[in-house]
Amino acid sequence: MWYNKCVDLLTVSVTARESAGEPYTLVEIAGEADVTNTDELRRLLDEEVSQQPRTLIIDMSGLRFMDSSALHALLRVNRSLDRQGGVLALVSPQPAVAKILRLTTADRLIPVFGSVAEAAAG
Amino acid sequence: MSYTYTTDLAAIRAVVHRYAIQAGLTEARAVDLTLAVSEVAANTIKHAKSPGSLKIWYDAKEIVCQIHDEGIITDPMAGRRKPSLDALGGHGLWIVNQVCDQVEIQSDENGTTIRLHMNLPRRGAGQLPVRADLPGASRRHPPCGTTNAWIC
Repeated sequence: MWYNKCVDLLTVSVTARESAGEPYTLVEIAGEADVTNTDELRRLLDEEVSQQPRTLIIDMSGLRFMDSSALHALLRVNRSLDRQGGVLALVSPQPAVAKILRLTTADRLIPVFGSVAEAAAG
Repeated sequence: MSYTYTTDLAAIRAVVHRYAIQAGLTEARAVDLTLAVSEVAANTIKHAKSPGSLKIWYDAKEIVCQIHDEGIITDPMAGRRKPSLDALGGHGLWIVNQVCDQVEIQSDENGTTIRLHMNLPRRGAGQLPVRADLPGASRRHPPCGTTNAWIC
């Protein structure tokens, strides 16, 4: 869409990892996630979901801001993974991000951990 | 302060946060106001398809952010009901109502004007923030004081 040029606000990196023999996908998102880059975020996350990971961990420690559009992208990923028997976990949201997760009660739907190691251990 | 925006939400957030701190809001409440303005401005991008304008002013009692765009809100209860998490949409205005002390929405054929009010802490040591007197507040959108008390 026309506002996707603003995607440079947000950086996303993906790595395949393993914890106690169990593979998981780690997605690190950093910067600011809002309506101007949600389409790109959704596209990148959809790509990972299509690989059918058993566990998808999103490290949010570098994410300074997240609005409701980006939250919906995460909720969508959670639903898709759930349907295919996978699990989504969030790690280390900053206060502003934790606030929107708490307000919308999304943090009751998606587990939130203090570190990637904790999330990988389940 | 008056500011016209198109898609530069990060710049808007930076401006709002700066003024909020300058006005005397705590960091957590400045973050709340920044989130609220960003959600309203995001609606401009999603629905109005034309530039919006942001005005910010404050006095000793409150800071107000006013956002205007050419979009039209037809639902008088917009943002007053908590959407289901399954809805995958419609959380923006609801969040705005949760984090702000008062939200006024006026929408007609000329567009939509939304005013977000945040009460400032009373100057002086150890004082809790007080609810500012809100003359001219829209009766259709009363402040949701009791609902907000545990959040703000």
